[in-house]
Amino acid sequence: MLSLKRDKKEEEDGGGNPFNNLEKSTVLQEARTFNETPINPRKCGNILTKVLYIINQGESIGQTEATEAFFAMTKLFQSKDPILRRLVYLGIKEMSKIAQDVIIVTSSLMKDMTGKEDQFRGPAIRALCSVTDHSMLQSIERYMKQAIVDKVPAVSSAALVSALHLGKGSQEVIKRWVNEAQEAVNSDNVMVQFHALGLLYHIRKTDKLAVNKLVSKFSKQSLKSPYAYCLLIRIAAKLIEEEDAGSESPMFDFIESCLRHKSEMVIYEAAHAIVQLKNTTAKDLAPAVSVLQLFCSSPKPTLRFAAVRTLNKVAIKHPAAVTACNLDLENLITDVNRSIATLAITTLLKTGNESSVDRLMKQISTFMSEISDEFKIVVVQAIRSLCSKFPRKHNVLMTFLAQMLRDEGGFDYKKEIVDCIITTIEDNVEAKEAGLAHLCEFIEDCEHTVLATKILHLLGREGPRTPSPSKYIRFIYNRVILENAAVRAAAVSAIAKFGAHCDDLLNSCVVLLERCQLDTDDEVRDRATFYVNVLKQKQKALSSAYILNGLQVSVVGLERALHQYTLEPSEAPFDLKSVPLATQPIAEQKVRDVPGEVPSSKPTQDKVAASRQDVYQEQLAQVPELANLGALFKSSSPVEVTESETEYYVQCIKHTFNNYIVFQFDCTNTLNDQQLERVTVEMEPAEGFEVIKYIPCPLLTYNKPGTTYTLVRLPSEPTQDTSRKHLSDQVIICSSNLFTSLVTGTFACVLKFLVKDCDPQTGEPDEDGYDDEYVLEDVEVSVADHVQKVMKPNFAASWEEVGPENELEDTYALSNMSTLEEAITNIIQYIGLQPCERSDKVPEGKSAHTLYLAGVFRGGHDALVRAKLALDTSGVTMQLTVRSTDPHVSEVLATAVA
Amino acid sequence: MPFFDALARWLGMKKKEVNVMVVGLDNSGKTTIINHFKSPETKNHDIVPTVGFNVEKFKSKSLAFTAFDMSGQGRYRNLWEQYYKECDGIIFVIDSSDKLRMVVAKEELNLLLENPELKNRSIPILFYANKMDARDAVSSVKCSHLLELQSLSNKPWFICASNALTGEGLHEGVDWLTDQLKIVLQKKKK
Repeated sequence: MLSLKRDKKEEEDGGGNPFNNLEKSTVLQEARTFNETPINPRKCGNILTKVLYIINQGESIGQTEATEAFFAMTKLFQSKDPILRRLVYLGIKEMSKIAQDVIIVTSSLMKDMTGKEDQFRGPAIRALCSVTDHSMLQSIERYMKQAIVDKVPAVSSAALVSALHLGKGSQEVIKRWVNEAQEAVNSDNVMVQFHALGLLYHIRKTDKLAVNKLVSKFSKQSLKSPYAYCLLIRIAAKLIEEEDAGSESPMFDFIESCLRHKSEMVIYEAAHAIVQLKNTTAKDLAPAVSVLQLFCSSPKPTLRFAAVRTLNKVAIKHPAAVTACNLDLENLITDVNRSIATLAITTLLKTGNESSVDRLMKQISTFMSEISDEFKIVVVQAIRSLCSKFPRKHNVLMTFLAQMLRDEGGFDYKKEIVDCIITTIEDNVEAKEAGLAHLCEFIEDCEHTVLATKILHLLGREGPRTPSPSKYIRFIYNRVILENAAVRAAAVSAIAKFGAHCDDLLNSCVVLLERCQLDTDDEVRDRATFYVNVLKQKQKALSSAYILNGLQVSVVGLERALHQYTLEPSEAPFDLKSVPLATQPIAEQKVRDVPGEVPSSKPTQDKVAASRQDVYQEQLAQVPELANLGALFKSSSPVEVTESETEYYVQCIKHTFNNYIVFQFDCTNTLNDQQLERVTVEMEPAEGFEVIKYIPCPLLTYNKPGTTYTLVRLPSEPTQDTSRKHLSDQVIICSSNLFTSLVTGTFACVLKFLVKDCDPQTGEPDEDGYDDEYVLEDVEVSVADHVQKVMKPNFAASWEEVGPENELEDTYALSNMSTLEEAITNIIQYIGLQPCERSDKVPEGKSAHTLYLAGVFRGGHDALVRAKLALDTSGVTMQLTVRSTDPHVSEVLATAVA
Repeated sequence: MPFFDALARWLGMKKKEVNVMVVGLDNSGKTTIINHFKSPETKNHDIVPTVGFNVEKFKSKSLAFTAFDMSGQGRYRNLWEQYYKECDGIIFVIDSSDKLRMVVAKEELNLLLENPELKNRSIPILFYANKMDARDAVSSVKCSHLLELQSLSNKPWFICASNALTGEGLHEGVDWLTDQLKIVLQKKKK
């Protein structure tokens, strides 16, 4: 009785899975039963199942163990029991990757593959292909060919699929099976046809013309298999994509005709392919969308899901096209399947108008708790796009986002929400206060350090500029009390920013920071001490330079410079000015609109941008004549000075140093019967510039790029070297006898070289050569080459910091610009400074705008530009105000636009 | 159901099963010999070099044989040993027209005999001096001399000349093997 009870209990524990607590060693021990004669098929089958089970559970079996089990398994070929035999095939396939000498079963499998038992043939082929190596492929080739055209569909399919697998390793052998595959395509069986088409495509996929032929051939003769049709549509879509063709392609006609196929699968595949294509017009999309619309009301949930998911994706690119389906999507909102409902709502949010937002948000909040994080992120992304589309709706959306922040969710989900709120705050001034309040509330109970520091950084940046900054301090200081070191450090920085920005809060902030000086963590203490000391000076310029605007140098460059300094210690203190500045990547403005906001994405960008300049610096340092020019200030992006299809292809890169410019010419000789020697670019300098040296490229052979440099001294020494330290102390040393602002100019360039004719085949040059030259396009040196973009997060502070000493102001009429955006783009291009505080974006419908630009002029002079723009009937009027630490620089910049 | 098995055996309906291994150098005729024993409808008409092994079944007058027809190619010979343990008898096929490789065959045979699985077992070995019809074939006596079979003392062995294409000499060998295996089986019973 007792034992019976226990048995019952064990049964319940097992949960019905007889293979539950299997142990690898026992199972492998049991596998020795295979060696016994006569074979007991049932018992062996059971053990083999166990072996397969543990392999599929991810248990790793060593090579020796596996080999032993494998050889035991081969003995099961004695038994003719069909179940056992098929298990053996499975076992072989699993073991083929781990055991040794699996080739031993080749003959046995070949026998089964050609045998009379159809049940064995297919699996035998698959198993055989898994044990065969490429040296053995020849010997089974004949049998494979026969199997492909076998009249039993299972055999044929198995052979085709196995051929596909074999094709991954040795394309050559498979290529010879083309005729058999062709024959198999004509099979009546849907699967065989599909697999045969797959194999044919695989064989030909490297040859575009052949693929083209393949598609056009089969699109004419109607295939029986819907699977084959789907594959054909995919191939056709890929072809269109590769050719970059639009709806005029014959392939497109084929895909479109598939929309009228009788199988739903094919119709969906065709619609999906059409909406995914890049170059499509609304007219091309219409039939596909209407098909998807039809699927939305299908009784099959899979079809509904597929349709709404595809529509959701299309909605981003072509919202107008999806609008037609709005009514059907509305019906799906209440679908029992939550995935379908979520996708339907988010699609509607993307396509819908302002009035429907409230209703939809209400609807979605009813089941937010029932869907997975993955779908929640879809919802957040939809809200993010809504926020930028309907800025006026920020109220509803913000509340909803805050609600979601409070709910349970993983890191990715929370990060997505925070990113969404931050973008909204930055794009929409009205949403700022509400958004900051929500974020403050969120960090009160936030388990993710990354998010907390990110939000604190944001609070430090945006908080001081709100009408009542004091209310944020409490939230921030709470973090100092309650959180881990990283968050505390971020909070300390944020408090310091409040103190630096708001005079009335200064004293309170200093008190708070003084308390932090007793923190247990080094970093927090260090930061607090630093900030307290800076703040106590009560100098705007100091606070601005060291608290609000932070370090502007490139991190990579700083690391390198410091390393260099420690290697060669000198009496002189480390000069921060020798460190290259952080280049502001041009892509940054675009990145802002994309997920992954400023603090997280910025370091990586800096790294990339800095390393480009670092590469140049290193390159130049290797040329002995150029090694002692000092630190590289700026490298321009390459400019082509020849057409790209000419005899000699030359690109020019301008490297600006303090007093010199180095023109780097990357030349490529595209003539295979010439060899160029002593290549230089002779430059006709503009007034004031002086060519110091040409560094020729000794040899330029066919198609091997070479580099020649031209060193030019800049016309005037605008100022003496003034270090940053002096700048911040407002001590400006100017040389009084300045030349007038000649920093721009045009250089005429001629490529000079010695030509030696040579044999195109061997490249062997003749003895004698002759001098020749080749006229290049002119190279311009503009103001932008003399300045480096620097991001000033707090422009107003920097503006005050530089002061009005060297201010220049002028008014211009830009009559050829018709919009503010156009004017802004042009100004940035001419002056080459970094737009700050997102002032390069003009709010819609405004006729006046102020653009803030910041940067550093060659020689380390801060340069700030404020451009007030107004739009009127005759064009754009601009009042340009330039402030700089050097009067000369102000002058140069003021004239840049003119 | 041991009772039914015994009954069937007594009635001669079900024969006793034995495992034998067929080994030898490549191209000596192992698969062809086995093919000859098979029933006409299962016979294979084109014989290709075996890769790995094949399992075949055939019957002699009183025993059911399960033959592991091993591949004779050099790279697979080391795999023979995997099957030594379970076999009750060995058929060693020699190409009697290939005098050149007789030494190789001898070496393989010695390796086989030295194998710990077989060394101390009194397992019957049947030698077929195959291809006796070939013009330069050596006689079975010469063959046994070349392989130094006389020194093989702890196992019963028998050599007979054969022609696998016609079947000549094959049954003689199998009859001997059947008798030997029967003796072994009886010993086991006791």
